[in-house]
Amino acid sequence: MTLLDLSRWQFATTVMFHMTFPAITVGLAIFLCVLYGMHWRTGSPVYLQMFRFWRRIFALGFALGVVSGIVITFEMGLNWGVFAAETGPVIGPILGMEVVMAFFVEAGFIGILLYGDGRVGRGTMFAATVMVAIGTVLSTTWILAANSWMQTPSGFVFSNGRFEPTNWMEAIFNPSFLWRYAHMLNAAIISASFFVAGIGAYYLVRGRVLSFARRSVSIGLGVAAILVPFQIFLGDNVASHEFPLQPSKAEAVEGNWNSGNTGYVIFAIPDQQAQRNIVQVNIPCLGSYIYEDLSCQTGNPGLDLTPTADQPTMLPVFWGFRVMWFASILMFGTILYATILRFRRKLWTSRRFHRFLMWSIPIGIIAILAGWVMAETGRQPWVVFGHLRTSDAVSQLASGEIVFSVLGFWLLYFLMLAAYVAYIVRAMRAGPERDTAPAVPVIAPMVMA
Amino acid sequence: MTMADAIFVLVLLCLVMYVVLDGYDLGVGIGTLFERDRQHRRDMLEQVAHAWDGNESWIVLLAVILNAGFPLAFGTILPHAYIPLVIMLLALIARGISVEMASQSSLDDRWVLAFGIGSLFAALAQGVVLGTLTQTLTVVNGAYSGSPFGAIGWFSALSAAGVTCVYVALGYAYIKRKATGELRAKAGRRGVASAVLASVLVGASVVALRGTAAPLNLDNAARAIGFGGLLLLAVGGVAITLVTLRPASRNDSLPYAGLVVSTVALIIALVVARYPVLVPPTLTVYNTVSPQNTLEFLALGIGLSLPPLLFYNWFAHHAFRGKVETS
Repeated sequence: MTLLDLSRWQFATTVMFHMTFPAITVGLAIFLCVLYGMHWRTGSPVYLQMFRFWRRIFALGFALGVVSGIVITFEMGLNWGVFAAETGPVIGPILGMEVVMAFFVEAGFIGILLYGDGRVGRGTMFAATVMVAIGTVLSTTWILAANSWMQTPSGFVFSNGRFEPTNWMEAIFNPSFLWRYAHMLNAAIISASFFVAGIGAYYLVRGRVLSFARRSVSIGLGVAAILVPFQIFLGDNVASHEFPLQPSKAEAVEGNWNSGNTGYVIFAIPDQQAQRNIVQVNIPCLGSYIYEDLSCQTGNPGLDLTPTADQPTMLPVFWGFRVMWFASILMFGTILYATILRFRRKLWTSRRFHRFLMWSIPIGIIAILAGWVMAETGRQPWVVFGHLRTSDAVSQLASGEIVFSVLGFWLLYFLMLAAYVAYIVRAMRAGPERDTAPAVPVIAPMVMA
Repeated sequence: MTMADAIFVLVLLCLVMYVVLDGYDLGVGIGTLFERDRQHRRDMLEQVAHAWDGNESWIVLLAVILNAGFPLAFGTILPHAYIPLVIMLLALIARGISVEMASQSSLDDRWVLAFGIGSLFAALAQGVVLGTLTQTLTVVNGAYSGSPFGAIGWFSALSAAGVTCVYVALGYAYIKRKATGELRAKAGRRGVASAVLASVLVGASVVALRGTAAPLNLDNAARAIGFGGLLLLAVGGVAITLVTLRPASRNDSLPYAGLVVSTVALIIALVVARYPVLVPPTLTVYNTVSPQNTLEFLALGIGLSLPPLLFYNWFAHHAFRGKVETS
């Protein structure tokens, strides 16, 4: 394990920990905004009850997302000082836009959203939920612009030892940005909808707060039913726009070491050193079909087309994609089955389906994390694809420093994750029954007697 | 004034906004460690629960503007101050989560304790980071290369104590503004003590700068006059605070305002005396600045966003304005 490996592991784990929370809160923020709007318009107490319950689930996840996001900003300078110094002129302002257009908006209004109930008017409350939702969406926009630039860099020249912007439109709207952005935003909403439906299903299984539970499951599955098929279309477009620019990633995703395989690899244990798969399971001819050759003669490109020094490690790229893909099939199957149940009027009586739905609470989060593993490990050995190697971008730190920070982050993040899961479980057990009380501030009373 | 200077002013603005805003909520957090009354600890925490998030945004903006505008400085200063910055991040995480957990579950007091400890470590670490800026930077081939604790010297200990006391004083001044009764009186008494201690430590630090690699540069008249004037303003701010922070004084908004004036004046005074050097020996505003194209984007994108940012920050405080019954 080299110091480079340690810095990479630190970044990978801290960024994945961070991503877990936006994967739920971006969608939940939009959901909260809709719920409060419905409550404001209709005056119906059910929507207020839902708003308060889901807000409690949202609150801690949002805070965890914020503080773990701050870490990422600093890590780019701490562990990747050369990366920061060389890409700062391009990436820096894009991240700056994220901070001013999203971070501040969220942070400024989250206090009102969380603690304003009963202290500010309903119009102000609604405005706060809208601002927080807009903030999370804008945040996704700029972060994806920055990351997409690292995947498919454009609009710059390399001079004076750094990336200097020449055309901001090209840099921001780089070739992969719009498709990846749509794909990510859609993913965040889908994962939140499975999260909401799953927690709703928990109450169906328990036979508690049925009207609340049914409405949550309905909304969750309804949103997913529209967005999951759309997501498969978006994902396909991400691949077709990004892969021509990153052939090495495409080769690693398909799991082939040489370019003659007309089948499609669904399972493989790659051996990078020997440049072959120890175990491999193919679906015959499917690989050729994907390349639009129904005669089963087109072999898929393999990693042999990329020089060894420029190859990504196949294992995380291959499996990152497979986990995302298998999860998406599972989600598609779930909504298909739910739709059938609904037409046969069995959606509210099928206990087994409710139980299954409950276990699929984290499915969207898993798919998002796996997708990012593929995107980021597939870009290796580059940090800015084709221009800056990860090994050249790392800070020259002492081993003691990195060991300290890796252990510090792991320990703290483990505790935080445990606290978060315990908190969600407790909030679920306590249930939304207590959220029906009118007008009094539910959380954190500001006026103490 | 060049474009580089304009962006540098933006960095400074973020720095002072961060120090006066997150300074008070870190200070309130540290104050909970010295508070024996359980209910008062809770009241103090509730005073920052809805605001810490917005206040902390300024340090994120500080980091990204530094990264965008002075990328070489960002890429060398952060590794230079690696250990204290990591401790700061760990402390800020623990503290942010503790605020939310504590205000969501009113029974568990361990989160309040974690909030206090996190605040203390964040403040100390920031003081140490400030201290590392007075230590000579070792750069080889355009990248930082120094020993892990090489950047932390005796001055760092002094500045850590100074920064922490300034935050505590800001925290108590804020609490006096927001609280009533017993908590208000306590905040006044402890606030005066911490403001005196902060003044002594900061004064000692400014004198001690002479012994570091980053002594004050007051060679020409303009610098000397600017520095002297700002220092006088800082002393005036502290004087106002010391008079009005006493529980007997009925003015509850001047103590915080006085400290804000003196903190901001002090930061600008130090910058006036060190400009354009960022870190000794050679890292300056001019040799780390981004290309023109980047600076223009920053000036436009971030500059135009500043009025709404300040509005959000003001509004977040405005929505929860006024005194809170605390005893």
